[in-house]
Amino acid sequence: MTLEQLLADTKPALLDIQQRDLTEIAQAKDWQAKYRVLMQLGKKLPAIPEKMKQPELLVKGCESRAWLLHYHDKATDKHYFVLDSEARIVKGLMAIMLCLVNGMTTAELCKFDLWHKFDQLALKPYLSQSRGNGLLAMAERIKACCPAK
Amino acid sequence: MPAFDVQQFRQQFAFFQQQPDWVYLDNAATMHKPQVVIDAVTQFYQQYNSNVHRGAHQLSQQATALFEQARNTVASYINAPHLHEVIFCSGATAALNQIAFGLMHTVLQPGDRILLTQLEHHANIVPWQLHCQRFGVIIDVVPLTPDHQLDMLAYQQLLQLKPKVVSFSHISNVLGHIQQVAEMVALAKAADAITVVDGAQGIVYQQPDMQQLDCDFYVFSGHKLYGPTGIGVLYGKTAQLARLTPIFAGGEMIDTVSFVNTTFNKLPFRLEAGTPNIAGAIGLSAAIDWLQKSNNQQIIQHKSLLLKEFYNGLTAIKGIDILSSSVHNAGIVALNVDSEHPADVAELLNQQKIAVRSGQHCAMPLFSYLARPGAIRCSFAAYNTLDDVNRCLLALEQAVEILTA
Repeated sequence: MTLEQLLADTKPALLDIQQRDLTEIAQAKDWQAKYRVLMQLGKKLPAIPEKMKQPELLVKGCESRAWLLHYHDKATDKHYFVLDSEARIVKGLMAIMLCLVNGMTTAELCKFDLWHKFDQLALKPYLSQSRGNGLLAMAERIKACCPAK
Repeated sequence: MPAFDVQQFRQQFAFFQQQPDWVYLDNAATMHKPQVVIDAVTQFYQQYNSNVHRGAHQLSQQATALFEQARNTVASYINAPHLHEVIFCSGATAALNQIAFGLMHTVLQPGDRILLTQLEHHANIVPWQLHCQRFGVIIDVVPLTPDHQLDMLAYQQLLQLKPKVVSFSHISNVLGHIQQVAEMVALAKAADAITVVDGAQGIVYQQPDMQQLDCDFYVFSGHKLYGPTGIGVLYGKTAQLARLTPIFAGGEMIDTVSFVNTTFNKLPFRLEAGTPNIAGAIGLSAAIDWLQKSNNQQIIQHKSLLLKEFYNGLTAIKGIDILSSSVHNAGIVALNVDSEHPADVAELLNQQKIAVRSGQHCAMPLFSYLARPGAIRCSFAAYNTLDDVNRCLLALEQAVEILTA
C-alpha cells in the first residue's frame, strides 16, 4: 500500500459518506440506528498499514490512537486526507469530519468552520469532549494543515 | 447482621436526585458527596472563613480550631498515634510526590533500590522515576501471577535485593484486587525497607489502622472517601516524616528566615507550606464523621452482593473479557468486549447514561503487561443499587449487540 493508493481509496469513500451516510445519520430514528451507521463508516475507509503509522502521524489527545495523513496537491492547491483509528465509533466520527474538508483548497480549509458544521449535523457534543474521544485533537490537526500566512 | 439500607444511604446524596437518569459506576475516579459534606464546606465559608494559625483575631482561632479538629478526626479514623503525623495535602498524588522527592538524595543514594509493583498507578511510579533518574536510584517491579494477582514469591525474592523503599497500592485502581498489605508491610520491614502504602482506593474499602498495619507512610485522597476534591492525607511515622525534605517552602512551614539560613517549623506544619485547603479538610472530616454512622461490614457485604450480581450477569453476555478477579475484589471490575476498543464500548454505555471510565486508568505499565489497549472500568460504591447493576448489564448487552451487528 502506498500513499497514492491510500488517497485513491479514501477519496471515493469520503465522497460516499458525504453523499449517503450523512443523511442517514441525520434521519436515524434512535441513537442505536445512528451508531450502527457510524460504525459502518470506518469500515469504508482503507486501513493505514502498520508500518506507515509513523509516530508523527499519531494525533495526540485521543484515548484511542488515531493517525492522520495529509497530502497537499500543490498543482491544484487541494488538501487530501487519510485517517485510521483503533476505535470504530471514533473512526466513524473522524471520517465525517474528513469528508467535510477533503479536497478543499487552502483558502476553503482555512475558512472552514467545523464547529458550525458539526452543530448542523447534531454532532457538536462529540467535539466538546476534548480529552475523551480525540475529535477536538483531530479537528485541530486538520486546521494545522493550513499553512500559516 | 441486618442488611444495609441502600435507599436510606443513597437519599443523602443530592446528586442522585438531580441526575436520576444516570447510573454512576465511576466511583474509583471520584465519589459523590453526601449533603453533610457539602453543608460543612458551605458553612465554613459562610460562617467561619478566616486563615488558620496566624490571625490575631477570634475568627482565625475558630477556623484554626475547626481545621485542627479535622486533623484529629482523620488521625483517630486511621488510628495514627500522633496528630502531627497527619499531614494535609492536595491528594494522594501530592503525598506520593512529597515522599519520593523528600527521600531522594538524603535517604536514597546512588545505587539504592526501590521496589514497586506492576499494577501501580502512575502517581506511584513517575514521582519515583523522575528522581531515580536524577540520583541514580534503581527501580525494581513485582510482577503478577497469571490470574493478575501480585506474585508474592517474586516479591520476597526482590526484597532480598534490599530495597530502601517499598511502595505499593492497598487496592489496585484498575483491577480492584485487594493486596495482602499487612503481610507485604511485615515482609518489607523485615528487610529493613521504608514502607509506603498508596491507599487511594483502599481508604474507602476499609478503615485502615496505622498502628496495626505499622507501615511508615500511608496516603489517600479525600474525594475518594466522600470528601471534597483537593484535599488529601499524607500519614507518616514521626521519625520518617522528619527525614523528608519539604517539596514546598513558604508560609507556616517556616520557623525563622534570614538570607543566610532558614529553619523550619515542627511537624505537621513543616510539610504544609502555604495556606492549606481549610474547607477541604473540614469537608473531609465531615465525611469521616458521617461515614462512621454506617456499619462498614454491612457496606462491604452490600458491595460484594453487587459484585456477585454483576459477575453473574457478565458471564451470561457473550464475548466479555473480564480482567478483574471476583475474589479479593474491593468492587472494581475491568473488562473488555472481545476484539473491540474500550473507547467504543464506553461511548455506547455513555449513550445509555452509564458512567464508567475507559482507557488505561493511569496504569500504562499494567496494560502493557496485560497486552490490552485498555479496558472499561465499572467501580461500585455503597450507594449503588442492584438496579444500577442490572441497568449496566442491559446496557452492556445492547453495546455488544450494536458492536457485533
